[in-house]
Amino acid sequence: MAAVSDVGEVSVSRHQRRWEGFGFLAPLLLFALIVFDVPLLIVVFWSFSDPDTGFPSLGTYAAFVESGSYARIIWRTFLIASEVTIATALIGYPLAYWISRLEQRSQLIAIGLVTMTFWVSILVRTYAWIVMLGNGGILNRWLQSLGIVSRPVEFLYNEGGVAVGMINVLLPFLVLPLYAAMRRVDPRLIHVAETLGASRLQIFWRVFFPLTAAALGASMVLVLILSLGFYITPAILGGGRVPLIANMMDLLINKFARWEMAAVNSVILLVVTLAFYGLYQRLREKAA
Amino acid sequence: MPKARLFGLTAVSAAAMMAFAISAFAQVKELHVMHAGGQWGDAVAKCVDSDLLKEKGIKVVVETPGGYAKLAAQAKSGAINNVATDGSTSELSRMAAEGLIDEIDWAAIDPKPMFDEAKNKYGFGSSYYSTIMAWRKGVPAPSNWVEFFDTEKFPGKRALPDYPDYVLPFAAMADGMTPEEISKGIDLDRAFKTLKRVKKDSIWWQAGAQPPQLLKDNEAQYAISWSGRVVGQEGVETSFNQGMLDVSWFVVAKGATDEQKKMLYAWFHDQTIPEKQACVAQYISYPGPSPELEKLLPKDKLDQFPTYSENKKVQWLPNGDWWFKNAAEIEKRWNEFKLEQ
Repeated sequence: MAAVSDVGEVSVSRHQRRWEGFGFLAPLLLFALIVFDVPLLIVVFWSFSDPDTGFPSLGTYAAFVESGSYARIIWRTFLIASEVTIATALIGYPLAYWISRLEQRSQLIAIGLVTMTFWVSILVRTYAWIVMLGNGGILNRWLQSLGIVSRPVEFLYNEGGVAVGMINVLLPFLVLPLYAAMRRVDPRLIHVAETLGASRLQIFWRVFFPLTAAALGASMVLVLILSLGFYITPAILGGGRVPLIANMMDLLINKFARWEMAAVNSVILLVVTLAFYGLYQRLREKAA
Repeated sequence: MPKARLFGLTAVSAAAMMAFAISAFAQVKELHVMHAGGQWGDAVAKCVDSDLLKEKGIKVVVETPGGYAKLAAQAKSGAINNVATDGSTSELSRMAAEGLIDEIDWAAIDPKPMFDEAKNKYGFGSSYYSTIMAWRKGVPAPSNWVEFFDTEKFPGKRALPDYPDYVLPFAAMADGMTPEEISKGIDLDRAFKTLKRVKKDSIWWQAGAQPPQLLKDNEAQYAISWSGRVVGQEGVETSFNQGMLDVSWFVVAKGATDEQKKMLYAWFHDQTIPEKQACVAQYISYPGPSPELEKLLPKDKLDQFPTYSENKKVQWLPNGDWWFKNAAEIEKRWNEFKLEQ
C-alpha cells in the first residue's frame, strides 16, 4: 500500500515538474506563434487563393506546373547549393583539421581569422570578388602578366563566380562547428589505435573521421539550407544571368506584384527542404 | 528588493523621457514618399528637401526604390505608408488604369510655369531623363541600335537594363523597327529574338550606377544607361541618337489623407521653382520641366541634357497606353525570358 502511494506521489510530482515552468514559457511561445507561424500560414493560404478574386483555387499551382521555368529555377538552385556544400566541405574539413592540430596560441589566431570574415559586411565581401575576379581584376592581371592567358578569363557573371562568392561566405559556418567537434575527439582513442598498430591513414579513416562525421553532416546540412536562400551573391556576381530562388522571388514580389505565385514557390521550396531535412534525420538515426 | 525597484524606476523614467522626446519631434511633419533615389534623389534632398524643412517644417522621408509593384503592394495591404511614388510613363498609365492613384489637384500645387507635357491628370512630371547608348572609349562606336546589338561587327559585352520597358524597345529596333513604329507598339517577338541572340554577351544591371561602372571596369564594352549617369563621364562615350526621352512622374497614392496631400503638393510646388531645378541639374543632368530652366543651365554642359534641342530632336517618347494595355503579356514573356537565363 505504502509502495503504491509512494509511486503515485512520485509520478504526480514529476508531472507537476514538467508543467511547472510552462507559465514562464507561454508568453514567448505565443510570441513565436504569432510572429513566425501565423505569417507562414498566411503565405500558404495565399498560394491557394486566386489572384483576382481571392477565393480558394488551385489556379496558381496549375500555372506553376504549366510554366516549367519556376521549377527549373528551383532545381538549379538546389544543384548550385549542393555543389557549393560539397566544395565547402572539401575545403573546410582539411582547414578545420589543420587548425585543430595547431598549438594553442596559433589555434586562437587561426579561428580569429576565420571569424573575422563575419565582421565584414556581406555586400562588401561580394563586391570585393569583383575586384579579384573581374576582367580588370587582380587574378586576371596576374594571369596575363605571367603569360598564362592572353585575354581576360571570365570568372564572373556565370555559375562559377557565384559559387566562389557563396563558398567564401559559407566557409566559417562549416569550419567553426567542425573545429569544435574535432577538439572534442578523445585523444586517447588515437593513442590506443596507435598502440594496436594502425597506420596514420587507418587511424584517420577508421577512428577520427567517423567520430567527426556527424558534425560534418550537420554542418553540411546547415550550409545547404543557408545557400538555398542566397540573394545578394547571385544578384551581384551573376549579373542577372544566374537567377536563383531568392532572385526569382524578388522579381515576383517587387517587380510584377504576383504574390500568389511567390507564395506557391515558397510553399514548394518549404516542402522540398523539409523532405531533405527529414531524409537527413533518417540517416542520422540509422547511423546512430 | 531595492535592486529590482531601482531597475523598475529607471525603466519607467526612460520610457517617459522617450515618449516626451517623440512628442517633441512630432512637431516636424513627416511626408513619406518613395522614389528612385540614387544621385538624383541625393540632389533633390540637397536642393529641395532641406529648404522645405526650414521654411515649412515638412520633413521628406524617402524610401527607395518606388514603382508600380510597391504601390500595388501597399494598396493591397491597406496600409498607406508612402503617399507618393515615382514612375515612368508606362507605369503611370498602368497605375491610373488599375485605380491605384488619385487625380492631381493642380490648383492646390499652384506650380510655377511648367511645360504642358509634364502636367498629367494623374501625374506630376518632375524631371526629364533619357535612356541612351553608351560605350567604352576606344571600342568601335555604334550609330544606331542595329549596330549596338550587332555582336559580330561590334564585339564585346553589353550591359542591359533588367527592366522590360528600358530594353525591349531598343531590342525591337535592333531587329529593324523604326521609332515611328515603336511609338505605336513593340513587336515582342522581334525584341526577344534580339535579346536571345545576344544572350551570351549580356550582363543585366538593376541600379543606375552599374552601367558606367561596368564600362569603366571593362566588364562590358557597350551599355544601355540612363543619360545622367553616363554623359560627360571620363572614358565613356554616349549618343542620344534613337534614345528614349521620358518624363519621370510622381503620383499620389489612393487613400492618402488631405493633410498628407497638402504636404505633398507643397513639395511638388517647390520642385517647380527654376532655381531649385538648376541646383539639381548641377549634380545630375535630369532637367526639371520649367521653360525658364535653360537660361540658368551652364552653357558648356548644355549638350548633356536630354531636353537640349539637338538631343531632343533625335529621340522618341514612349507610348504609355500601349505598355499598360499589354502589361500582362509583357510580364509573362519577360518572366519566362529571364528565368531561362
